[in-house]
Amino acid sequence: MKNLYLFLLSLMATLVLFMIFSFFFYRQEASKKINLTLPIEVVLKSTAGQSMDFWNTVNRGIDEAAKEFGIQVNISGPNFEKEIDRQIIILEEKIKKNPPFIILATSDFRRLSESVNKANDLKIPVITLDSDVDSVFPKSFVGTDNIIAGIKAGVKLKALLKDDIKKEIAIVSHLKGTASAIDRETGARKALVGEKIIGTWYCDVEEDKAYKITMDLMRNEKLGGIVALNEIATLGVARAMSDISAHKRIKVVGFDNSVRELTYLEQGIIDATVVQRPYNMGYLAIKTAAEYLSGEKIDKFIDTGSILITKDNMFKRKYQELIFPFSN
Amino acid sequence: MIKKIVFGTLESRIYFIFTLMLFIAIFIMQLVLFRFVTTTITSSTLDNNNILLKHLVSQIDSYLLGIERVSQFIVEDADIHEFLENPNDLESRKKIELLLFNYKQARADISNILIYSHDGTIILSDPEAKINPWTTIKEYDWYNNALKENGNITISKSYVQNIIANQYTWVVSISREVISEKNGKSLGILLVDMRFNRIDELCGSLVIGEKGYNFIIDDIGNYIYHPTQQLINSNLRSEPISEILNLIRNRGHKDININNKYFMTETSELTGWNIVSVTHKNDIITDWQNIQIIYTLVGLILFLIVGPATKIISSGITKPVRKLQKIMKTVENGEFNLIGPIKATDEIKTLAYDYDIMVGCIRELIEKNDKDQELKRKSDLIALQAQINPHFLYNTLDSIIWMGEMGQNKDVVKMTSALSKLFRIAISKGHEMITIRDEIAHVQSYLTIQEMRYQDKFSYLIDIDSKFHTFPILKITLQPLIENAIYHGIKENNVKGFIKITSRLENDKIYIDVKDNGKGMTEDELDRLISSIDTEPEDMTLPTESNPGIGLRNVHQRIGLYFGHEYGLNFKSKIGEGTTVSVSIPAKMMEKQI
Repeated sequence: MKNLYLFLLSLMATLVLFMIFSFFFYRQEASKKINLTLPIEVVLKSTAGQSMDFWNTVNRGIDEAAKEFGIQVNISGPNFEKEIDRQIIILEEKIKKNPPFIILATSDFRRLSESVNKANDLKIPVITLDSDVDSVFPKSFVGTDNIIAGIKAGVKLKALLKDDIKKEIAIVSHLKGTASAIDRETGARKALVGEKIIGTWYCDVEEDKAYKITMDLMRNEKLGGIVALNEIATLGVARAMSDISAHKRIKVVGFDNSVRELTYLEQGIIDATVVQRPYNMGYLAIKTAAEYLSGEKIDKFIDTGSILITKDNMFKRKYQELIFPFSN
Repeated sequence: MIKKIVFGTLESRIYFIFTLMLFIAIFIMQLVLFRFVTTTITSSTLDNNNILLKHLVSQIDSYLLGIERVSQFIVEDADIHEFLENPNDLESRKKIELLLFNYKQARADISNILIYSHDGTIILSDPEAKINPWTTIKEYDWYNNALKENGNITISKSYVQNIIANQYTWVVSISREVISEKNGKSLGILLVDMRFNRIDELCGSLVIGEKGYNFIIDDIGNYIYHPTQQLINSNLRSEPISEILNLIRNRGHKDININNKYFMTETSELTGWNIVSVTHKNDIITDWQNIQIIYTLVGLILFLIVGPATKIISSGITKPVRKLQKIMKTVENGEFNLIGPIKATDEIKTLAYDYDIMVGCIRELIEKNDKDQELKRKSDLIALQAQINPHFLYNTLDSIIWMGEMGQNKDVVKMTSALSKLFRIAISKGHEMITIRDEIAHVQSYLTIQEMRYQDKFSYLIDIDSKFHTFPILKITLQPLIENAIYHGIKENNVKGFIKITSRLENDKIYIDVKDNGKGMTEDELDRLISSIDTEPEDMTLPTESNPGIGLRNVHQRIGLYFGHEYGLNFKSKIGEGTTVSVSIPAKMMEKQI
């Protein structure tokens, strides 16, 4: 009887001790660590190729956030953006590993939805990064609001063409069916209401094709402006402009900020480019994942923002880190 | 019930208080220790961090100093002066291009060296590179600042250098005017661009913990470098710039702690940059949780060790008390036990000793009381016994008178002498103990008288072994038994009675049996008789002829008092056959007359 007492009393004391200790010291752990047995899987559009700068910067944002939130991250993806089948295979492999979370930058709006639904069936939460997927299941989309970005491009072009009488506008898009292409076009068309848009051409993420399209388009004397909807398209358009020195008569608003684009911008071959915030994209994707995993509510859409860069503001201190990535 | 156990007994109370105090003591100790350990670790980590930071500053400075030295060499180079005096000399231009190229090759951290002559000639360290046609040199800060400094060095902030076509490099520019040694006139501007990623690497390498980092601000709080500049620009992250500037301005504190981050600053003399080092509190002591668990475990183990020890101590204190209590409790049952010497503290020993003395006194008192009582009873019984039934005396005297009247002188003499003998022995000088021989003589006298009185109504036989004759016996032991045999066994019987008195030795006891052939007793009567002789009489009444039980009882109790209660009377009886009364006494010679 007495021994039982001793035991109970000790146990009680231990519990109290532990509780008080926890109370005193555990709260010092300000940011709660998320304990995951497996790393978060990030499947990107491309890990090599022409738009490396963009994805490198995304990676740096991911690394920074992973460090901040103490999360392990495994990044993978096909070599090139157009390898949609490869991306599906990679995503399927990752789903098999049953990771705690998947961050996906889809190369195709529709073709990856089946795999995303499958991940949902296996109760793996998915968020999309940069470009969305045709599925209701992703918990959130972290990326540029491409409609707003498109509007920015459209508004700028409209302003540039204000004094021009020709006012025919062409849109050179990168890939048919891609969410970013659809949204940017929608935004641009919205901003250009009242202007004459002669059509949309797809370059299939090939610079040469964009170049050829532009060469063909420039035969049209009435053409006053081109909106190029991504880096590759912009480069193709700019090269064509540069080659036949058409930039005086045709205004170009592009997207993204590769070194070559910036050179064209500096030269005045393209007039403006809408720059996304890839660093913020990577950072916010992981941050959102961390918030979701620690049980917080997350927004369905997280806009990482976009900025219109012209020759005048490209060397402003404020934008330097953004458009000249700090990589070697 | 639990409450009673916890607070009721001395032991549990001691245990409880000890435990509570221990708990508090351990807890306070751990708390203090924990705080102490964490502050010590934090402060020593911050000290180390401060050293690291100073190291970082000196590295950045020496790094820039190296570049400055390069610029010094170039500025003082005679060939360059010669060229700038005469910018159209192609040969001297070649020489200088080679010189700049070599300097650049020698140091990987130099991205570009440029010499600008006021006439517009530009020489680059990379012969392949071309000047960006869409820029004008006069718009650059490094150009304008160098002109203001009049030959002294200027160091720019970090920025993207776009002076070379198709190149956008993050640099820190060192620029200065080249001044003619002859006439002190400005000849041109030298620009040395230093790759900024070296500073990024330096700042990134000298950090504490996973989340530590360094950043650089100028003296009004503008960022010169921040590893997550983009997050700052998009307001996803911010630094407490005003507090840091305060820290820089008044050097009173070593560090400031904001939101679990420690900020420390160090200013570079060369550049005027303030390098801020940020250390996360969680990185200083990485395993709060483990430390907590270890502390808790240590506390628990301490508690588990000291807890039982407390119990042992408390029970050690209370054990003698409990022993005392246990022994004292026996008093309730009328046993007065001594505690004797015990292992305990002096107080308890004294208590036990005093208790023993008290019990000793009580015991003595009780014994004395018992003895007094016994003595009183004995004397009462003796007094009773000594009195011959007056009825018997009257009857005897009556018989003597009657015999005298009848002229039976012989009988008169016989009865009178028997009576006289009877009295003599009964008195026997006041001694209680007489020999069995004397007792036989007494019985003989009594029987002589009774035989004459009842004339041939009974006969008797005394057959006592002569070896018992010298053993002591209480006087007037046998007479009441014989009286009882006559009155209850024979008197009311029509058959001639016979009384037989025999002796035997059994288990060191002498038995004297008085056997009659009277009517005997039923079992009930026998039981009543046996139980009646053991009980105390309510009052001391004389044995009467009608109540012989009293006489028997007196005999039985006297034997008990003198020899002990294993001695006394035994009865055997069967209805119609007679009764045997046995008296047992010790077969021991008398040592001393009581």
